[in-house]
Amino acid sequence: MASNDSPIIEVRDLTVSFGELRVLDGVGFTVARGENFVILGGSGSGKTTLLRAMVGLQEADSGQVLINGEELTAMSGEERIELRKRIGMCFQSAALFNSMTVGDNVALPLREHTRLEESTIDIMTRIKLELVGLEGFERYLPSELSGGMKKRAGIARAIAMDPEIIFYDEPSSGLDPIVAAGIDELIRTMQQTFQLTSVVVTHEMESVKVIADTVCVLHGGKVVGIGSLEEVGRSEHPYIQQFFARRPNREGSDEVEFARSLAGMD
Amino acid sequence: MKAVFGTVGRWTLVALGAGARVSVLIVETVRWAVVAPARGLGRLRVRSAVESFVEFGVHSLPIVGTICLLVGVIIALQSSYSLSQFGANRYIADLVAVGALRELAPLMAAILITGRSGSAITAEIGTMKVGEEIDALEVIGLNPIRFLVVPRFLAMVTAVPAVTLVAMFLMIFGGWFAAVAIVGVDSGIYISETLRALVEKDLATGLTKSVFFGLAICWVGVYRGFQVEGGAAGVGRKTTSSVVTAIFFIILVDLVFTVLFYFM
Repeated sequence: MASNDSPIIEVRDLTVSFGELRVLDGVGFTVARGENFVILGGSGSGKTTLLRAMVGLQEADSGQVLINGEELTAMSGEERIELRKRIGMCFQSAALFNSMTVGDNVALPLREHTRLEESTIDIMTRIKLELVGLEGFERYLPSELSGGMKKRAGIARAIAMDPEIIFYDEPSSGLDPIVAAGIDELIRTMQQTFQLTSVVVTHEMESVKVIADTVCVLHGGKVVGIGSLEEVGRSEHPYIQQFFARRPNREGSDEVEFARSLAGMD
Repeated sequence: MKAVFGTVGRWTLVALGAGARVSVLIVETVRWAVVAPARGLGRLRVRSAVESFVEFGVHSLPIVGTICLLVGVIIALQSSYSLSQFGANRYIADLVAVGALRELAPLMAAILITGRSGSAITAEIGTMKVGEEIDALEVIGLNPIRFLVVPRFLAMVTAVPAVTLVAMFLMIFGGWFAAVAIVGVDSGIYISETLRALVEKDLATGLTKSVFFGLAICWVGVYRGFQVEGGAAGVGRKTTSSVVTAIFFIILVDLVFTVLFYFM
């Protein structure tokens, strides 16, 4: 990790609301070049919204996202397209184009953004699929793949343009432990082989232990802890302690809160 | 009374909001279909447009053709019901020819293509939205309007008039068949009467309308598709609504053009 470099991603005071609900509330942090940055949080913590805002799929109410020092939040349509050629994203549902074969999915960014020969694109597609362990699956349709294979194909598509940064939304959710561990390993390999910077959103502690260089814990739209896994684990913050210890909310306090919300008190 | 004003006001706001979003969609479509390729930004996806043309146009020919043939038979027999009282059965040819070119062939073709392909556009784009495929396109740096809408737009505005042209011919053929085989009009008289009745403006009217029908089908389909929220049920709801809305706009466009051509 080159810590003396300027950060590759910088998020400043980011706020996003859906109507009355403030999903992200002044979130700020930096991601260093080449690290695996894990955004950890429970359901409804705003972590997916944060990831979407970092790639420009979600407009922010205020605050900035800077990628390589360029302000994503202030970019025009054309500038965003240029930027997006240098980032990759894996969606929770893999989001492969169902009408295309796996090979065409991976080849699509190359066909659309480069002037490479079709034979070159073929070779590059095969290499990317081999990297994620899907050699020989070029001609399969996404519907013919298992959940884990779809995620792998999604990763292959995300790295098609050799991006600098890759974003993963819940990469191991919905997969059995063995397949999930395989994906975790793949995320590590991607980082080590290509010096990729990875931003991973997850709620799975087992994955975090394997892949995280830096952990950022999100709760109620705010960053409640950031640092290495050990540092965050030592935090006194009640939510982090509860999350790491995998303790449920206490029934009693929940009921009181529920009654209060019904009565409109806060 | 207050409730009535409230409801009307709300509807107006909803309609204005939808109008604004549709306008953006139209401007963006034209920008990516015409301006951007001309400036060398973003290639047109010609292959995808041709594939869509085959799907919307060529594949709809059997059903549109059959239905228009039958409608031709129906108009011929229905008009004979009145005309025979005056011994004027030869004018079946006029009614069928003018009716087919100016009104019925464009309308039947547009409504059938709405049912076949307008719904398919909504379902396809809606499913892609639910499955995060639209987001995936954006993140790859591909504009969904350029990638998904423009090819369908180009295909639709060409396919509807093309199919309409065939529909016109088959409807007249159906009318000829019924008049000659069932009513007993002389074939030669029917053909010469048809040619006498038709002027170029009839064809122009029908084809102009069908281009705008194509626009309505495409933009309603796309708009409803992008509106889809919340899974398979959402796709179903918007697909139904897409067909109903498109047919409504087809009739509206038809009315506007009919009034316009009436005074021209």
